[in-house]
Amino acid sequence: MEKAFEVKDVNLFYGEKQALKNINLDIYKNKVTAFIGPSGCGKSTFIRCLNRMNDLIEGCKVEGTIIKDGIDIYSSKQDIVDLRTRVGMVFQKPNPFPMSIYDNIAYGPRCQGLKDKKQLDEIVVRSLKQAALYEEVQGNLDASALGLSGGQQQRLCIARCIAMSPEVILMDEPTSALDPISTSKIEDLVLELKKNYTIVIVTHNMQQAARISDITAFFLLGEIVECDKTDIIFSSPNDIRTENYITGRFG
Amino acid sequence: MSRKVKDNLLKAVTYAASAISVIVLASILIYLVDHGLSSINMDLITSNYNAETFNAKVADDYVYSPMEVEDYDGYYSAKWGVAFEDVETVHKTNEISVAYVDSNSPFAHLESLIAGQEGTRQSLENNYVINNLYYNDAEGNQVYLSQGKMESAENLANILENEVTEIVSLNYQSLGGGIKGSIITTLYLILISLTLSLPIGISSAIYLHEYANKNKINSLIRQGIDTLTGIPSIIYGLMGVTVLFPITQLVGATSTSILLGGLTLAIILLPTIIRSTEEALIIVPQSLRDASLSLGATKSQTIFKVVLPCAMNGILTGVLLSIGRVIGESAALVYTTSTVINDYPTILSQGTSLALMIWSIMSGEQPNFELASAISLIILVIVFAINTIVKIIGKHFAKSFS
Repeated sequence: MEKAFEVKDVNLFYGEKQALKNINLDIYKNKVTAFIGPSGCGKSTFIRCLNRMNDLIEGCKVEGTIIKDGIDIYSSKQDIVDLRTRVGMVFQKPNPFPMSIYDNIAYGPRCQGLKDKKQLDEIVVRSLKQAALYEEVQGNLDASALGLSGGQQQRLCIARCIAMSPEVILMDEPTSALDPISTSKIEDLVLELKKNYTIVIVTHNMQQAARISDITAFFLLGEIVECDKTDIIFSSPNDIRTENYITGRFG
Repeated sequence: MSRKVKDNLLKAVTYAASAISVIVLASILIYLVDHGLSSINMDLITSNYNAETFNAKVADDYVYSPMEVEDYDGYYSAKWGVAFEDVETVHKTNEISVAYVDSNSPFAHLESLIAGQEGTRQSLENNYVINNLYYNDAEGNQVYLSQGKMESAENLANILENEVTEIVSLNYQSLGGGIKGSIITTLYLILISLTLSLPIGISSAIYLHEYANKNKINSLIRQGIDTLTGIPSIIYGLMGVTVLFPITQLVGATSTSILLGGLTLAIILLPTIIRSTEEALIIVPQSLRDASLSLGATKSQTIFKVVLPCAMNGILTGVLLSIGRVIGESAALVYTTSTVINDYPTILSQGTSLALMIWSIMSGEQPNFELASAISLIILVIVFAINTIVKIIGKHFAKSFS
């Protein structure tokens, strides 16, 4: 299997506090990798390392290497803006821009300098279709994105991310702010998207991880306790801490 | 004292305090309306403050033709197509002012007699006052009609109608007392100060909020900006006249000037604009910045395409408040634009803003309460309008992120 990311000995510090300890992990292409673990265990921190969103946090320092396509993304050779066009991200709370639906999706390509109206139209329609939102907003693309429901907004954010044709989509608890129906729509979407994209998803919902992921990593106190195929993690975990967590005995 | 009594007492105190503030505001308004409202009209806004005197004769090529007679007030002389009325000027003198000049009247076809401008075409205008007039009577004698002999508008119209056969020359003047020059000066000041302070203020706010790290130098800058807000504006005026004056000399200013006042105001506005822009940037959710950056937008693209448009309402609020500040500022301008009321201001000339004009007309030997109140009322209305717009924008702003 091809690797999308090779993570070696990553340590992360917020000032003096160490948030990630010795993370070693491979993320495979066209698979759904899920990160589970209790709050504050470092899974969101780690996923933000993969597109260097942690750079925005003051006092955040990353050690170790994360290799993507043969280049350490934390080396000076890596262009951060270019990295983020290839590694997209969907956030916990839907965060559409206060613009029209069309402008939201065209935002990324436009920032890359794409001005051709025809090409943009095509990208917008394709992205909306892939994000299973096109049917609902068809003919209404000039309406404000803020008028959509929470679930629709989150799918819009996924469409916005897809519009960049990234290789990897990082999802940081994408359904935690949504109702069950919207959640199941997003889950279906993830399963659909994995044909074309590598997906890394952080979730608090263990059933969700079991339902949609191929590989699951269990985080605890800034460390990866266990990482294996999802069915193994949920049926016969090696570590007693993993077992305690997934059976709901703690966490 | 029981808790209930205490509670009611406190309530009563707050009621009384609010009542006092309302009464103060109301009494200011009543005073201004009472003194100033009668002086407010279009002539006030469109005419000069200083009276202008003209000396003219009827143009040689003028051919008498029947009057067209449109609407007129006062006492009309059908023969000469001119009407007069008795007025009390803003300078509190009683004058006979022109109420109507027909387009075919000889008074509408005058030629200047003033040395250096001979032959310049001019016309008697509404609200002008005739100081004296030479005319020929029925016997062909030239008669001098002084202001004293005119007596009243009715009498003047009668003399013209019944005794005058030909108008030889006349000396007339505008009434003055208008605020046109000060309005133009105020507009200049708004324009100059905002063109300078907006780009600088918004850019530094962006630096402080979007780029600056939390270190000692930046917190010092921030503290400095906060301190600037509290400095009395007359100190800015002093600094303007000593430090900024040489800069205005470079572009040709020979004395204090509107440009100097505008520069000084720009500095006064900076902290306000930086602060209000920063407040607006703070309200823009971090999640929008994250979203933009995660889509591969650069930092500057994020700022210009997402952050600034979202903060636009807040920035606009700052701009409007700044305009209010420019209109209301007087102390800083005393040294920098001078207190000379100028009817034809240019960027490099002296002049007074509306607020400063109040100071000028009140500090003379004959303080003019009516005119001062009228200007105050105008300023008050403008500031009220600006505050209302700011509130509307604020509401709209709050809605867009809820």
